[in-house]
Amino acid sequence: MSLIHELTKLPGVMAAGEYAYRGDRFNYEGHLSEEMARMASIMCRSTTMALHMQVDMLTQLGKDCGCSPAQGWLVSGEKYTVVVRANYFCFIDNSANNLNAIVKYINEHVDTQTGELV
Amino acid sequence: MADLEKIMQLKGALAAFEFSDSGELVKSNIKDEQKINDDILDLLCHVCVANGAIATMQARGWEKVTDMTGFYPIKGFSLMGFEWTVIVNQHSGVIVANDDVDFDKAYAVLEG
Amino acid sequence: MLKRLLAEDGVMAVCQFRDDGELVEGYGMGDEAMLQRLAHFAHDYKRLVQGNADQLAMFTQMSGWTPPGAWLVKGPVWAVCGLSNLVCVVDLRETGLNTIMQGLQDAASW
Repeated sequence: MSLIHELTKLPGVMAAGEYAYRGDRFNYEGHLSEEMARMASIMCRSTTMALHMQVDMLTQLGKDCGCSPAQGWLVSGEKYTVVVRANYFCFIDNSANNLNAIVKYINEHVDTQTGELV
Repeated sequence: MADLEKIMQLKGALAAFEFSDSGELVKSNIKDEQKINDDILDLLCHVCVANGAIATMQARGWEKVTDMTGFYPIKGFSLMGFEWTVIVNQHSGVIVANDDVDFDKAYAVLEG
Repeated sequence: MLKRLLAEDGVMAVCQFRDDGELVEGYGMGDEAMLQRLAHFAHDYKRLVQGNADQLAMFTQMSGWTPPGAWLVKGPVWAVCGLSNLVCVVDLRETGLNTIMQGLQDAASW
């Protein structure tokens, strides 16, 4: 079974998907419309790119701060949280209180990032 | 104001900090200055503020276009690095070793 | 053409970079490593601006923002200006931004 499919079975996961770094493809499952998933892919890709740039700069400006290469990010609002690792994204309902388990699952199933966005 | 001492009690915490709206480091509590110092923290705070601003723009746009509310205003941002994870809520944050990360607890403590 | 841009008042460094961010050609202040960092920064920043402009267009449904033509980051003394695969560092005490952006435009279309 695909990681996306497995993720959507976890409590609290509303939708999960993956996007191409080139920005031309995406794939998802869960409670999002096709258009919402497309927008989510664009946003997640953009933030991932930005974060890689920032972490690269952080590494160049200071000594290695333990964050390079960036592995992923997470942003939390009042009701929802978005978790991204590599090119996988996951929309989470905060009321499920299952963030740790979801992040752990993603970390265990997505390879360690080398910094190349391919 | 964040209680940095309390934040440092989180398992695996390497540094706790507080920063201004624009990302300048205001206060810090560092476990091992050989690994992390205020200069690095200051840069890291700016990264978090920058991404918080991007996420806020995204949340604003997303909610307007989809009518799916619940992201705005953005409160927290985390960066999962190679060894360490930084978790930020409002104006305070903590750096935790990846193996010890507990997001729920960290956000609860950062919320105060 | 890059050298001609460097000859403009206030232009401290100028670089051309490849689509993967590697330095093609660079002149001005700093050593080769510094110019390489400038090229990397400009490449990354260009992508960042592109990503944000795409989102602005997506959310507002307003055309005319993408693809972004150029970007600039302005500090009190220095500015960094980028257009196409070119970037330059400018001392604002010695020049104006209009001149520099026009210079970049000319160099990019050379």
